[in-house]
Amino acid sequence: MNTAQRQFNRAIFAAIATGFFMLIIAAGAVVWAFQRTQDIGQRVTHSIEIEAAIANLNRLDERIEAARRGFLLEGDKRFLRTFEVTAAEIPHKINDMAKLTADNPDQIRRVEQYRKLAKNYLDLVEKSIANKRAGITTVPGSSLLDKADIAVSQQLRDLSDTMSSAERDLLEKRTTREHAGILLSTSIGIVAATILLLVSFGTIWVVRRTLAALSVAGEQLRLLNGDLESAVAERTAELQRANAEIQRFAYIVSHDLRSPLVNVMGFTSELAAAIEPLSELLEMAEERIPDSVTDEARYAVRENLPESVGFIRTSTEKMDRLINAILRLSREGRRMLAPEAVDMNALVTSIIDSLQHRVGELGVTMKAEPLPTVITDKLAIEQILSNLIENAIKYLKADRPGTIIIRGQKENSRVLIEVEDNGRGIDPKDHERIFDLFRRSGTQDQPGEGIGLAHVRALAHRLGGTISCTSALENGATFRLSLPKDLAPQQGSNT
Amino acid sequence: MRKPQTVNIVMIEDDEGHARLIERNIRRAGVNNEIRHFMEGTAALQYLFDSADGPAKNGPALVLLDLNLPDMSGIDVLQRMKAPDSPLKRTPVVVLTTTDDKVEIERCYDLGANVYITKPVNYETFAQAIRQLGLFLSVIQVPDTDVS
Repeated sequence: MNTAQRQFNRAIFAAIATGFFMLIIAAGAVVWAFQRTQDIGQRVTHSIEIEAAIANLNRLDERIEAARRGFLLEGDKRFLRTFEVTAAEIPHKINDMAKLTADNPDQIRRVEQYRKLAKNYLDLVEKSIANKRAGITTVPGSSLLDKADIAVSQQLRDLSDTMSSAERDLLEKRTTREHAGILLSTSIGIVAATILLLVSFGTIWVVRRTLAALSVAGEQLRLLNGDLESAVAERTAELQRANAEIQRFAYIVSHDLRSPLVNVMGFTSELAAAIEPLSELLEMAEERIPDSVTDEARYAVRENLPESVGFIRTSTEKMDRLINAILRLSREGRRMLAPEAVDMNALVTSIIDSLQHRVGELGVTMKAEPLPTVITDKLAIEQILSNLIENAIKYLKADRPGTIIIRGQKENSRVLIEVEDNGRGIDPKDHERIFDLFRRSGTQDQPGEGIGLAHVRALAHRLGGTISCTSALENGATFRLSLPKDLAPQQGSNT
Repeated sequence: MRKPQTVNIVMIEDDEGHARLIERNIRRAGVNNEIRHFMEGTAALQYLFDSADGPAKNGPALVLLDLNLPDMSGIDVLQRMKAPDSPLKRTPVVVLTTTDDKVEIERCYDLGANVYITKPVNYETFAQAIRQLGLFLSVIQVPDTDVS
């Protein structure tokens, strides 16, 4: 992932986080506004209660006044009773008021003032009633227009009005304040909701865009994959074609080389056969006319010719072996592989058994550790292992008892097989070279053409494997064969 | 009893050296039958099938056949000779070639080759094989061709 992509992802994450944050703020604002509204309701109720209480008091006052006047004018005892009941009620109502306005010092003060005035007024009224009872008619209060009476009731009315309006003012002020708060929280909520909305739309847009890009990328990847597969298939086919071409070339070349070689060998033999009558002739000449036989003729017939023929022969024989090796390699390369489950333990045992004669003769200790089963071409793996084991026996050191260990293990989808010996070892500079055709390493005291390991490598490659060597001079050698555990069938061709 | 006829040897071999070596060894075995040498398939087929003194028209023959010919494969010659309607289907054919490829050898026998000899580079073996072939030639009864 590149830097731009990472920054973009970080931005998306930040946007989503912002969205959630805005959601919390909006919810908070709504809750706050709701609580404020509830508060206002309570306060309004409170104010109405107070106003109702004030109105109630006023009503009681008026009822007292009415009862007093009734009594004063008519002298009826029923009016007196009404008066007494109402007068007893008034202090309770004032106490209720005091309770309701306990949170407001101004109103408390007014209530206390009202209490005094009410007491004052009640006293006046009681006095006037007492006077009436006593039959005094000229006492103050007897008239409906008594000045003291009017003043006190006026004061009471004024005070209740003041209290009422004060309460109303208070309610208004509070409501205004609360309304401002509600407005603010609502605004905050709306702003937060708007941002939330924007962020969600932005995020949805980005996610949609990302998903679209992802599916496009997926499609491209699929196409690329298909391309890659076909490219690999094409390349493989090309390689197989090239390989088949080389194999065919090697086959034709080696085959056609044999034909002249047959002639060289044949006519060399004819020459060799011709030496015999010639030397007989020479002997006869030496016997009968010794002077005619020159040293040159003697040298030619007795030394030069046989030696030349001998060299031609050995060279031709060697060339024949080399050509045969190439032929064998090319033929092996053209053979159809037949993968099957190969019991490597049985295979190694059979190879060791087939070499038992030499093993016993040289006193070699063979150690075959358990090997995993491999699905591969049995003939090829057998040739590889028998070549490696034969080499191990062939290049042991004469002055120490030979030990050859064959071991193997699974490594994921491959199998590693090792053939280790304590023989004469291979110079590290030759570790690659020994796998080349006709190349050998070390003292040339053993027969061979330098074909075995070339053959091993060619076979290992055909089985989809590799072969390598670790060794130091005089310290033995380990050949490591790495093979796929399961060789795919139908590799190579028999064309 | 059939009247013994001289068997002509038809050698189809593009390599003159090989032809010479084969001839010498046949002669060394004491076989003195006439040897007709052809360097290419076309001329050989023409002789085998159409020539007035060729084996199809005149007398028994034995064919020594090399598989590598310049103008065709020896296999083609073998196929023509051993075809079901060929007058030469009973004529013995000795395939002589450098190939020791198992598939090729099997194919030749499948097509009706009577003997298959690999020309080994080891001359002694080769010479011996040819000489034995010569001895073999001197005793075998070569059937008449189907001249109908």
